[in-house]
Amino acid sequence: MDAQFLVSLSLIGATFALYIGIAMYNKAKATDDFYVAGRGVPPVYNGMAIGADWMSAASFIGLAGTVMILGYDGLAYIMGWTGGYLLLTFLLAPQLRKYGRYTVPEFIGDRYKSNTARLLAAVATIIISFTYSIGQLSGSGVVIGRLLEVNTIIGTLIGVVLIAFYSALGGMKGITWTQVAQYIVLIIAYLIPVIFMSLQLTQNPLPWMSYGSVMSEMSALDRELGVSEYLVPFTEGSKWQFYALMFTLMCGTAGLPHVIVRFYTVATMKAARWSGAWALLFIGLLYLSAPAYAAFSRFILMTQVAGSSLDNLPAWTSAWVDTGRLSVADGNGDGVLQWSELVISNDIVVMATPEIANLGIFVIGLMAAGAMAAALSTAGGLMIAISASLSHDIYYRTINPNASEKKRLAVGRWSIVIATVVAGLVALNPPGAITQIVAWAFALASGTFFPALLLGVWWKRANGPGAVAGILVGLFVTLGYIFASKFGGFTILGIIDTGAGVFGATSAILANVVVSLMTKPPSQKIQEEVTDLRYPEQIEYKDGEVWLKDAK
Amino acid sequence: MRKIDRAHADAYFRVRTTMIAIYLFIGLSVSFGVAFFARELSHFTVMGVPFHYYMGSQGAIVTFIILLFVNAKVSDVIDEKFGISPKQLEKSKQEDRAVNQ
Repeated sequence: MDAQFLVSLSLIGATFALYIGIAMYNKAKATDDFYVAGRGVPPVYNGMAIGADWMSAASFIGLAGTVMILGYDGLAYIMGWTGGYLLLTFLLAPQLRKYGRYTVPEFIGDRYKSNTARLLAAVATIIISFTYSIGQLSGSGVVIGRLLEVNTIIGTLIGVVLIAFYSALGGMKGITWTQVAQYIVLIIAYLIPVIFMSLQLTQNPLPWMSYGSVMSEMSALDRELGVSEYLVPFTEGSKWQFYALMFTLMCGTAGLPHVIVRFYTVATMKAARWSGAWALLFIGLLYLSAPAYAAFSRFILMTQVAGSSLDNLPAWTSAWVDTGRLSVADGNGDGVLQWSELVISNDIVVMATPEIANLGIFVIGLMAAGAMAAALSTAGGLMIAISASLSHDIYYRTINPNASEKKRLAVGRWSIVIATVVAGLVALNPPGAITQIVAWAFALASGTFFPALLLGVWWKRANGPGAVAGILVGLFVTLGYIFASKFGGFTILGIIDTGAGVFGATSAILANVVVSLMTKPPSQKIQEEVTDLRYPEQIEYKDGEVWLKDAK
Repeated sequence: MRKIDRAHADAYFRVRTTMIAIYLFIGLSVSFGVAFFARELSHFTVMGVPFHYYMGSQGAIVTFIILLFVNAKVSDVIDEKFGISPKQLEKSKQEDRAVNQ
């Protein structure tokens, strides 16, 4: 195990050194660098950065396991999280880029000319990003802890110090380029094991083409065992829950501030469209592979673990039984492990693959570096979103509009350090509520941000009171439904808490439209600004006339 | 600054919005549409996988990616057709300069 420790340590150490080096080289010198990376990131690289920003420790470690355990119903996550990029790139990102602000709350505040809306959005950004980042930090603690065999607390602290250092130094500019490096590390780490597993099981190096054959064998096994079939739809919940979950994840993805702000870092609307396309291609590499991981792991568990006698289980199982992520209790005491006696945690599928496929210490170390890259890149993006809300929306735009550039940069840097340290301290001993709130983050984003942004871009009649009403009603309905379904047993069409966004978003849009129509329309200037979003940067809409700007 | 005919600008917006509506319709059909008929569509298979599962795990995502690239490319072409791509502006300015000299 010593060789394993050294290999993991040196791989993680090498990637950490790379991230710090990149951040030092790309130090933020102005607020423009700090919040939006100077708006000069090329679309392909922004696509990679969006990918790393988006794919969290939970996607990296847990997604394949979720798909394995839920079967077809787990695909709502795959389609929802990728489909969100359609809504984002088609309906919001280019227009938000043309509006040209630093943060999402700033767009909401200026477009609706409402400080209340700006503050509401800033507070929502902070709450959503903060809870989300706690999941990342404790995730990175688990990874460092398990693979370097140190205490989880030390693991978490290492992650906190690293993120605080490089995001405070580099701001958005530093984070962008570290995210590009982190994307490359994480995708290589994700693909190598599944490719080898595909080779071993099917003699085909392309898991995306080969797992079909494994799935048909598995269906036969399912029927033999009489267990709920993997491919049969809606075994875990109603069809409407599948729909509601997919809708919530799509709108939530399109409304998450730390993802949207990445579209502010490119130069033009055209570059925003290309970023969206590249981003989904890069994200798709992981999302297309997760079901393959799921199929291979389930196949191995069904054929090599289930059905063998308890003292004759494959060697790799014991380490995972020890961590409590795999349970092999022999319920009926016949000395043979039945499929139904296996209890598997989500995390095991990806992390145990190198051991199952016997890929050696280098791949295990690479896996650890990949999981760290996924956790750090998402945490970095979240920290910059929190810092931007605190230092730009709340401090500069509300408390002290006369602050100098230098002062604003300093406030931005300190708010990152403080936010990271506080999140890290909470992550040392995360309250159970955190996992719940993370699961609800998408419902909250789709019930609050998404309607405000959608109407703000596409309907010039939407005004300040409408936006405030929409955000509050969306928040109230989403939270109300979450609590009613989770704790009160109240459901509509079998939709549970994770699908609450469908009600939140609908009621928020209704409230925004009704209140906007009942109150005074926005000023001529704002209406013209919204019309202006229809056209590319070269065109300006002013006083009812359309003007073509000369090239510089 | 050069003034553009309002009708020309409106036509631009209409074309772009129509395209986006078409892309969204396709994107939602391959995800929500297929899921709605999941049971009915499970009888034929793609690469050994029943169609509904194949669409959820691969087909829909690949369609999304293609739609996004088509959108990026087609939008560039539309910009060019309406004479407002950055390249064309640069060119028309150079021509202006040539005339002035």
